[in-house]
Amino acid sequence: MLDNILSILIFFPAVAGIFGFMIHKDSMRAYGVSVATIEFALSLWLWYSFDSNVSGMQFMEQLPLVESFGINYLLGVDGISLFIVVLASFFTMIGIASLTDTKNVKNMIITLLMLQMTMVGVFVALDAILFYVFWELSLVPMLYIIGAWGGPLRIYASVKFFLYTFAGSLVMLVGMLFMAYFYYQATGVWSFAILDWYRLILPESFQLWLFGAFFIGFAIKVPMFPFHTWLPYAHGQAPTIGSVILAAILLKMGTYAFIRFSLPLFPDASTFFMFPIAIIAIIMIVYTAMVAYAQEDVKQVVAYSSVSHMGVIILGTFALNVEGITGSIFLMIAHGVVSGALFLLVGVIYDRRHTKMMSEFGGLASVMPRYATIFGLMLMASVGMPLTINFVGEFLSLLGFYQQSHILTLLAGTAIIVGAIYMLAAYKKMFFGEVTNEKNKNLPDVSKRELVALIPLSIITIWLGVYPKPVLEPINNSVESIVQLMHDKSITQEAKSRIPNLVQERATSAEEAN
Amino acid sequence: MMEIGLNHYLVLSTILFSIGLIGVMKRKNLLLLFFATEIMLNSVNIAFAAISHYYGDLTGQMFAFFVIAIAASEVAVGLGLLILWHKRHSSIDLDKMSTMKG
Amino acid sequence: MEIYLYLALFSPFVGSMFAALFGASPRTMIAGIVPSLLLFVSFVSSTILLQHILAGGEVVHVEMMTWMETGNLYIPFGFVVDQISVTMMMVVTLVSTIVHVYAIGYMDHDKAFNRFFAWLSAFVFSMMILVMSDNFAGLFIGWEGVGLCSWALIGFWYHKESATWAANEAFIMNRIADLGMLIGIFLVFWNTGTLQYDGAFAAMQGLDIETLTWIGIFLFIGAMGKSAQFPLHTWLADAMEGPTPVSALIHAATMVTAGVYLVVRSNELYALIPNVGLFIASLGAFVAIFAATMALVNRDIKRVIAYSTLSQLGYMFAAAGLGAYWVALFHLMAHAFFKALLFLGGGNVMHAMSNELDPFKMGALGKTMKGTMIMMTLASVALAGIFPLAGFFSKDLILEVAFIDAHYIIYTVLLLTAGLTAFYSFRIIALIFHGEDRHTALGFHPHEAYKFMLVAMSPLLILAIIAGFMFKMPYFEMVTQLLPATEYHVHSATTYWIMTIGTQLFVMLAIFFAYKKYMAPGIKVPDGTSAMENSFKYKLLINQYYIPYFYEEYLVKPYRELSTVLWKQVDMKVVDATVDGIANMLVSTGENTRTMQSGNLSTMLKWMVTGLVALLSLAVVFGLAVKYLDEIKTCLSSLGV
Repeated sequence: MLDNILSILIFFPAVAGIFGFMIHKDSMRAYGVSVATIEFALSLWLWYSFDSNVSGMQFMEQLPLVESFGINYLLGVDGISLFIVVLASFFTMIGIASLTDTKNVKNMIITLLMLQMTMVGVFVALDAILFYVFWELSLVPMLYIIGAWGGPLRIYASVKFFLYTFAGSLVMLVGMLFMAYFYYQATGVWSFAILDWYRLILPESFQLWLFGAFFIGFAIKVPMFPFHTWLPYAHGQAPTIGSVILAAILLKMGTYAFIRFSLPLFPDASTFFMFPIAIIAIIMIVYTAMVAYAQEDVKQVVAYSSVSHMGVIILGTFALNVEGITGSIFLMIAHGVVSGALFLLVGVIYDRRHTKMMSEFGGLASVMPRYATIFGLMLMASVGMPLTINFVGEFLSLLGFYQQSHILTLLAGTAIIVGAIYMLAAYKKMFFGEVTNEKNKNLPDVSKRELVALIPLSIITIWLGVYPKPVLEPINNSVESIVQLMHDKSITQEAKSRIPNLVQERATSAEEAN
Repeated sequence: MMEIGLNHYLVLSTILFSIGLIGVMKRKNLLLLFFATEIMLNSVNIAFAAISHYYGDLTGQMFAFFVIAIAASEVAVGLGLLILWHKRHSSIDLDKMSTMKG
Repeated sequence: MEIYLYLALFSPFVGSMFAALFGASPRTMIAGIVPSLLLFVSFVSSTILLQHILAGGEVVHVEMMTWMETGNLYIPFGFVVDQISVTMMMVVTLVSTIVHVYAIGYMDHDKAFNRFFAWLSAFVFSMMILVMSDNFAGLFIGWEGVGLCSWALIGFWYHKESATWAANEAFIMNRIADLGMLIGIFLVFWNTGTLQYDGAFAAMQGLDIETLTWIGIFLFIGAMGKSAQFPLHTWLADAMEGPTPVSALIHAATMVTAGVYLVVRSNELYALIPNVGLFIASLGAFVAIFAATMALVNRDIKRVIAYSTLSQLGYMFAAAGLGAYWVALFHLMAHAFFKALLFLGGGNVMHAMSNELDPFKMGALGKTMKGTMIMMTLASVALAGIFPLAGFFSKDLILEVAFIDAHYIIYTVLLLTAGLTAFYSFRIIALIFHGEDRHTALGFHPHEAYKFMLVAMSPLLILAIIAGFMFKMPYFEMVTQLLPATEYHVHSATTYWIMTIGTQLFVMLAIFFAYKKYMAPGIKVPDGTSAMENSFKYKLLINQYYIPYFYEEYLVKPYRELSTVLWKQVDMKVVDATVDGIANMLVSTGENTRTMQSGNLSTMLKWMVTGLVALLSLAVVFGLAVKYLDEIKTCLSSLGV
């Protein structure tokens, strides 16, 4: 069973989702929770049986799909993708468990299970076409979630979300086809396997164009400035569960793809575009943080803060060294946990008051102390307080990039200032002061069902902040092999000097030790 | 007296094709449209036959026979539809057929 | 010894968690007593460690577990108890134990009693991490941790707008400095390859001056925020919105001295870059006099004491900047005792006066609050630096350092500040405790604080009196095993006596002047009419040199407005509108071209023919172009293309 665990992880929720149509409405919730829990247990089992000392792919599966073009059903997991898979199944589980009373709860749960299939698929696919298929399929359930359960502007938001990301992915698909063609030209064999592509050394000019093609697809998904405007609409209109999954997992597809595709395939182009991308990342960080500060709707604050944090992730990714990339992957997980929790928290108050306007609140700390405490914890995690999960990622990302540029890191470091400004301002507006609005006087504190989701998230936030090693170690091993690969296959002088040569470093430090 | 060569046939074919094309574009009566189409098809037939003769290769003439056969069946089907249409709408004016308006 | 280290470190944490358990329940005494007891445990453990170090024992160094490890970066949770950190541990645990006990009385009637102790103990825990960590990353944990607790405690009464505003201000301003600190840490890592103090400082000996200067500057920026040095000083005065025990513990004795601690801890670095040191000293001297002038006129006793803290921090930085690290640390310790005492006394007064803070509305409180009066007066004497109290030994030493190192400007500034310090300290003493009774008319009925609160304060009083002459020599011998052991002696005995006695006389004169002016009968509550209140100087000082105004008008407001503009104009009307514009363009192209699809057969046929002709002509053009490629090329090249 362990040999096929990745296929099981992908298709178990989908099959269960199809069976879900036969389940009665009243028992649907229990059914959904149990399916998601089994899935989560399976992903934990995957983590347990994962050998963290191996840097390469594990649990690989292969089935030919279109043999003549080298398209295979090829799966595998390494330290980079492992934790995002676990996170995806975890969030689906707590998402379903804490699902508030919605209409058509049956459809919602089935959609979520389908979404889970695509999410897991994206992160374990090792074949470009398979990756693309899951990547695009993930849009459909999300389109449905926003469009069917969203707010008043839901159709606009969902269509915008779909078309925008879809347009970007098509450019990416063209890039993939070209990549496969170049591989065919170089070797005489068709292959869409990413691991095969890793071995291909392309001339720099080819790399630049292909990097551009992939970049558009990924950048829209992340979303990077200036492609970010679909995100506030999607978050603003989506139901709580949609926002949670979107922020926690779907956005990570873009940054994950950068590390899986762009960096190892095009090391020279990555070096070439490092500074432009870093500048975009800084704009993302500062600009969206300021926009977040101006928001009146607390959900939009969290939505824009997501973009801001994604900027730090991008910056860490393009540090092109082990510290930065490891940090950015860790920050993906951290941001998933924290922003997911923040969206859940916004959902809590939305369920009670049916508004997200901060001006409607005020003084909630005395009415809902437990809620205020958990919100405060997540707020502090979001602004990067040490010993919370976010700090580890942010610290490593910035530390990594510092090796490449001092001044840009200084600018990007303003993240910790501007982040504090909008988050504290929002917290002050919502929780501090006197209770002025009559409607807020008797709000019930967080219920048990909400705590089911919030308590585990709080525990993870602190646990991985204090002891990130179990997650950091496997990530680190896989990242080291990727960085070494990038160094080895890079052709320009610039890239060789920017991307560290770990083997050599180890050798010299060992010599020094002797 | 000038020898009638390939060029003459091709010019004739082109003139006939242009007449047919103009007919197709200008005529509003569906029946006349069929006529114009027939002219175009036959102009092509002339060209086929002429070139076939010129090269001494029978394939072109064979193809012309195919075209004739297809034209005949097309007209048969087309006229059938036309009669049906006329029965239902008692008009075969092109301008009135606009159910495909987008 | 390790067990004592862990006891000292984690007892406050346990206490905090214990009190947090009761966070949501109504006020229970036990939530205050248990953390206090645990802090006492921490204090005793620190004392044992101090004994161990004093007896010449080895530095206690433990590595608890790995925190972060990736690439070349390795950060453990490592803790070290050496001469510097044990000094800080003693100060922190002693003052916080006293403040905890005091706060049991002070927060007696507060609904959020339990929450208060949870945060207060959490603060002590963070502070212990800060001083005990053996690497920069651990220091940063504590650094941010104390910032967090300070935020929560300044904004403790969160229903007050001013309190939450001050809390956010403090947090954000500290964050600005923390960025500098973070950059400093990055610099240290990439240049030395480690964040452990011993490794990093050893590697720094081999670095070039420019890099070291940058490291020094960035680390000091971090210190400037925590220690509220100019221009990041405004948060400290506003932080007085928090409960008074918080002000005593965090904003006087411990957290604000973290910056000084950092500079002292990095003495090996700053010894290599004397220019940065001189800058630190100059800034310290400037802040000393700058803050003292603001304290002269303020009408809020807590703010006066806060400015005095600021001023004394300036002294510490002046000493540290001049390389007299042990002097700075010594003044830090002495200051912690008498300043905490002063604040706690101020808290008693505040309680007695139902949270009224204007000393002009008090007067003659000495009759009802004898204990508090004695304590505050002695604390002020110590602060003013009168022999033989603590301040004399520590503060005069700083003056001597400046004098001996021939930085006469710094010396003069510091000397002047000493006079100002004496004046404003006794200005509030005189206004509060002496003179005419002005409070009864305003309807106040003051009463002395609980006995046990006074008892709790008494160790501080004793220390404020004896810390100078009792501890100076043993302390010197201890810390100089780690810090540069420069002894500061004025060379000629005559100069020394003239200086010392002159300073003493100057200070006493200032005290006398303050008493005379503010004990005089006929002092009224200022109402903005007197000539002095309308003078430019007064307005400048009472408005804190218009710096908060400047920040509000020229930084905060533009930031807010720019944010709104970025959102409403740029994000909505430019970025998003472009995206929608592209989509709309596609739609309108469709809308416009749909007329082509009229459904009319002959129109469609016409379009078909048009398309056919267009494609045919394209084919012909390209065919010709390919055929005559060479000719076209020669043609174009002759045209010079």
